[in-house]
Amino acid sequence: MSLTGRKAARYFIAIFLIITFNFAIPRSMPGDPLTNLLGEDVILSDSSVQELRSKMGLDKPLWQQYIEYWQSILRLDLGYSFHLHKPVSILLQDRMKWTLLLAGPALILGSALGAILGARAGWRSGSRREKVHTGILLAVYCTPPYFLSLISLYLFSFQLGLFPLKGLYSTGSAADIAHHLLLPAVMMTLFTLSRNYMIMRGSVLQEKSSLYAAFARAKGLYDEQILFRHIFRNALLPIITLLALDFGFILSGALFIEIVFSMNGMGSLIYDALLSRDYPVLQGSFLIITIMVVSANLLADLLYSRLDPRVKWE
Amino acid sequence: MTDFCERLNEWKGNRLMPMIISKSGWLGLAFFSSFLLMAALSPVLAPYDPWYRFEPYLPPDELHLLGTNDLGQDILSELIFGSRASVIVGFGAALMSTAIGTAAGLVSGYFRGMADEIIMGITDIFLMIPQIPLIIVLAAFLRPSLWLVALLMGCLWWTSTARVVRSKALQIRETGYVQANRSLGFSSLHIMLSDVLPNITHVVMPKFLLSIASAMIAEASISFLGLGDPTMKSWGMMINFAFSRGGFLNGLWWWYMAPGLCITLFVLSVVLLGSMLEERESVSLRLQ
Amino acid sequence: MTDLQDFMQGCSRAASESMANNQAILSIEDLSVSFETAMGRVMAADGVCLKLHERETVALVGETGCGKSVVVSSIVQLLPGNASVRGRAIYEGRDLLSLGEKEMAGIRGSEIAMIFQNPSLALNPIIKAAEQIAEPVIIHWRLPKSQALDKAGEMLRRLGLGNRAIPGMFPFQLSGGMNQRVMIAAAMILSPKIIIADEPSKGLDANSADEVMGEIARLRDSAGASLLLITHDLGLARKISDRMAVMYCGQIIETGRCEDIFNQPLHPYTKALLNCLPQRGFQPIPGSSPSMIEPPEGCRFYPRCPERQDECCMKAGLQMVRILGPEGEVLREVRCRLY
Repeated sequence: MSLTGRKAARYFIAIFLIITFNFAIPRSMPGDPLTNLLGEDVILSDSSVQELRSKMGLDKPLWQQYIEYWQSILRLDLGYSFHLHKPVSILLQDRMKWTLLLAGPALILGSALGAILGARAGWRSGSRREKVHTGILLAVYCTPPYFLSLISLYLFSFQLGLFPLKGLYSTGSAADIAHHLLLPAVMMTLFTLSRNYMIMRGSVLQEKSSLYAAFARAKGLYDEQILFRHIFRNALLPIITLLALDFGFILSGALFIEIVFSMNGMGSLIYDALLSRDYPVLQGSFLIITIMVVSANLLADLLYSRLDPRVKWE
Repeated sequence: MTDFCERLNEWKGNRLMPMIISKSGWLGLAFFSSFLLMAALSPVLAPYDPWYRFEPYLPPDELHLLGTNDLGQDILSELIFGSRASVIVGFGAALMSTAIGTAAGLVSGYFRGMADEIIMGITDIFLMIPQIPLIIVLAAFLRPSLWLVALLMGCLWWTSTARVVRSKALQIRETGYVQANRSLGFSSLHIMLSDVLPNITHVVMPKFLLSIASAMIAEASISFLGLGDPTMKSWGMMINFAFSRGGFLNGLWWWYMAPGLCITLFVLSVVLLGSMLEERESVSLRLQ
Repeated sequence: MTDLQDFMQGCSRAASESMANNQAILSIEDLSVSFETAMGRVMAADGVCLKLHERETVALVGETGCGKSVVVSSIVQLLPGNASVRGRAIYEGRDLLSLGEKEMAGIRGSEIAMIFQNPSLALNPIIKAAEQIAEPVIIHWRLPKSQALDKAGEMLRRLGLGNRAIPGMFPFQLSGGMNQRVMIAAAMILSPKIIIADEPSKGLDANSADEVMGEIARLRDSAGASLLLITHDLGLARKISDRMAVMYCGQIIETGRCEDIFNQPLHPYTKALLNCLPQRGFQPIPGSSPSMIEPPEGCRFYPRCPERQDECCMKAGLQMVRILGPEGEVLREVRCRLY
């Protein structure tokens, strides 16, 4: 199988596995599969239990349930949340846009800044300023994102009253939303930045000692000219895949930040679902998140093959 | 110039070796051992039994240096005992993932061929699946327990260790003495254990440490969501309670600052140690 | 061994050093380079004195690891950080070793250019060939990119790579010989006054090596530049250089015109080196070169020298002997007690 064929297969297999996993889990976990499918916060009468059981197809053989599960997935039917009285897909749609609003720009900004600052840090490694910067960002890197958010929430909202304490908006105007989003967005950016910074710095440190960097210097390039004209590109390529793999972690971080700031996105949805053991929502969210992460990886792979001439020209 | 520079790097490397531990390495080692001691000697170090209830929501004073939580339990004692959860999960998950990863990487790198393809394929897939959400889903279904979390993480994180071990195994496989042993007819298992394994410890150690760090952050995150083990004190759970039971809104910042700082410092210490080992490894590589 | 007179002390500048009609464009005076390592201090170069005149080609020859590359790298301050350099490298009245990085960057590439050993590694694999050649033009002359690329294309044509596809190709798509020419183009595009070529034909097959050296020679002539060539290939040195300097274990042990050295080598090491040539019988030199961490006192070739005498291993009194010509120009130098 060609390289692209193999890669494509991996993506499909990953999604296939997750969907199968989603199917298998409620039916294999301890407890009544019905409860596992409906959630634990649901009170039903005996007759409706029977009804639901057959409606959910629990009396049919397993392989048939599996096929029907796939069919519903392809119809974008992710189940129904009895806890929140809405279909899961609707819930996810609603919440997803807030999560993307928070995470999207922060991710892009954080990645770009992290790459540039990290490259500089790798280039000037050993200087006092670099050590300080790296030390600070290392501390950020090691701090769980929700803890950092808690601290900033306490400092800036609680003590200083600069920002609202919770929620996405009070009045609904664009400026108001921005006001609410600012602190969590900053946290998100910092979080992404610290991770990209560390990775980029490491990559530049490796590339610094290469012969082409020395030759560039011999041609008369000075200091950061060498960094940004040569090393940056070469250091960035190998880590694109790394950064894509990190995306899953960063997305999880976004969820936690949402929870701390009580924002109405996927994070809070999952948090509430956890408290009430609303399994359909949990599973649906998991599926969506996985698909997002896998797509991000796919995009990164495509990007890499376009950017690296060695791959492009094969 | 190139080969002179290469030789130079070797010599430079030689100079660093005597300097065993860098400054940041010392810092990391200091914190790391303190936390390990804290975990091992919790009953001795903690002023009170962390489960014993005093008066709730007390601010810090001489009797309770960090005050009490919503149930009246002494926060400082909670903090000290909480290190155990981090250590258990951290080490448990790291040990497991390192063991699986090393085995997988060895098999993959040494035997190559079909086994390699399959294992690498599995690695790629596992790497793509978002880990914390997966653990959340599983933990939601099962009864939360420390060992479960460690087990789950161990099963998920072996991939990066496997990758690294594999590339090293590939290298070692081609060296003279391995070839010699193979031609002498030693069994593959024997060669792997006696020749390849000792040489990959340098590579595996930093990965081991870094997986401890990841496991601890993950454990803290899971406990923060309330999925932690209710029978054990953990730093993440402390922050969870502080957040959801009025600690935050009432301004009781010591309740969550202390455990949060502990998590950060513990992770930081492990990361510093791990990167120091990684640097030594790359330096000693140049030596060869 | 007969017509050798005058003894001079060390590298004093008392004697008039200019050759007839030519000024020394680069004068390396008492250059010593050492590296601090865990195993001690490595003296990579010790008291090196060398002059390069206008339009002259000097070959710096010696075994691998004798310090040739270190010497030339130190001139343009391209050594790694843990090197300590002493001495002077006078170019156009200024000591290159005392200049700051920014000033050096201005000189590198435009006035003094270097050609590295490994062309495929010295070029950035993911940047197009023409762009890498155009870079010095953009940096030093501040021309817009399109103009610079045109000039780059011109250089490639002059070097025999006129095919239209080549400027847009990447180094990994080109052969070693082609990459070497790309590197030469990048080095020569601003017509530098001094070219330093560090083993430019290494790693190339005989044909490509010849062609490459031919290109270098042609460009040198048309630009009127001086060439400092590092090589361990004596035959090559003879073909294209005017003078030759032989290095051993960090020291220059003989200099002179190529023909003179080939016909009448003075230093025993030089003699032995010439005997290694296929034409002379492939005779290897017994023993191995000494470690540069604790170089032997006195003559460094002493342990392997077939003509050694007891006093040769003593430190005192071993200097560079100068043989002057009728107008006071330096014809030969040799660091040996026999003279």
